[in-house]
Amino acid sequence: MDPSEVEFLAEKEVVKIIPNFSLDKVYLIGGDLGPFNPGLPVDVPVWLALNLKQRQKCRIVPPDWMDVEKLEEMRELERKENTFTPVPSPYYMELTKLLLNHASDNIPKADEIRTLVKDIWDTRIAKLRLSADSFITQQEAHAKLDNLTLMEINTIRTFLLDSLNCMYKLRSNLQPGSSKGQFTDY
Amino acid sequence: MDKQSYLPVQPGVGMEDNFLSLDDILLSHQRLPIRTECVFPRLGFLEKSTDTQDIPLGTKMELPLWLSKGLYERKRKVLSVELPKMYREGWRTVFTADPNVVDLHKMGPYYYGLGSQMLHFDSPENPDIAQTLLQTFIGRFRRTMDSSQNAYNEDTSALVERLDCLEKALFRSGQSGLNGFQSWEKGQASQLTASNLVLNYRKRKITDLQP
Repeated sequence: MDPSEVEFLAEKEVVKIIPNFSLDKVYLIGGDLGPFNPGLPVDVPVWLALNLKQRQKCRIVPPDWMDVEKLEEMRELERKENTFTPVPSPYYMELTKLLLNHASDNIPKADEIRTLVKDIWDTRIAKLRLSADSFITQQEAHAKLDNLTLMEINTIRTFLLDSLNCMYKLRSNLQPGSSKGQFTDY
Repeated sequence: MDKQSYLPVQPGVGMEDNFLSLDDILLSHQRLPIRTECVFPRLGFLEKSTDTQDIPLGTKMELPLWLSKGLYERKRKVLSVELPKMYREGWRTVFTADPNVVDLHKMGPYYYGLGSQMLHFDSPENPDIAQTLLQTFIGRFRRTMDSSQNAYNEDTSALVERLDCLEKALFRSGQSGLNGFQSWEKGQASQLTASNLVLNYRKRKITDLQP
């Protein structure tokens, strides 16, 4: 999966905006949006919010978790715990990037938030690598991927799957005759 | 993003090899030390060191893997295959001690593939070989993973030169994950670029092709 595909999925997340125009309810396949009234906050998907923002038709209200204090708390917790801690949003990385790139003027302390999220990401990726390594060394058969986000899984997916594949084949060497009779057809 | 224009067939790794995999074809050309267990009549011309008409019993020579596999039979002894040195007891101890210090590219470059293929030939050491292959892979995994996930935008030739062909393929898949993420983070993923196929496409001129 390409990171841009993950980003595409993230654009379905809902974010609050304050429009500066008025429009009746819009009926879309994905659900009804609006009505839009100047000054009244309304929930819309991220793709629409970014589009309106680019045309300067709204102000984006950052999500609750996109706040320096809350993120600092999360970073400390993430560093302290050995396991993955729950993330505020399944698309925290993508949303941070999208919102900060397009609407950094609506988000207070945008630079600090960017650094904090990157810190959290780095900690989690280091943990992910550590757990992948222990998964391989202990020759485990299954693992629980609690609290991991799609983007995190996506960065390591091809590598981990290929190595597990190799390891499976090297392991099946241990039992002679087990790999007999199965071959792939091209 | 480096997308490949075709999808190569993956090597089989285990005891079965993939007929269409280029790596497995190259692997089948690896030479194995063998000893003949019967007379090969009128094939003496193949053996350059002697002038005899036949290859006598007990001659030691090297044959490629594909030929040894074809000639080897459990019931009727035609030839016996000796283990290449990196699968013998001495090297196995080295691999168990610290798999990270060994230069597998020099040893192999198809260390895992050839090792698995060696299991086709009956030998009391087979279980040990299989075990060592697995443990070597596990021991080297962390380093392959860390180097492939951390080397962004730098020369990777020093990192991959000691890797086996199998590990190199893993390294590449790790790099593609990292590069994909980094280019997305920098915002390059949203830019449209021309396909590699179009960039490399050149029209051939008939005058170039004719001598």
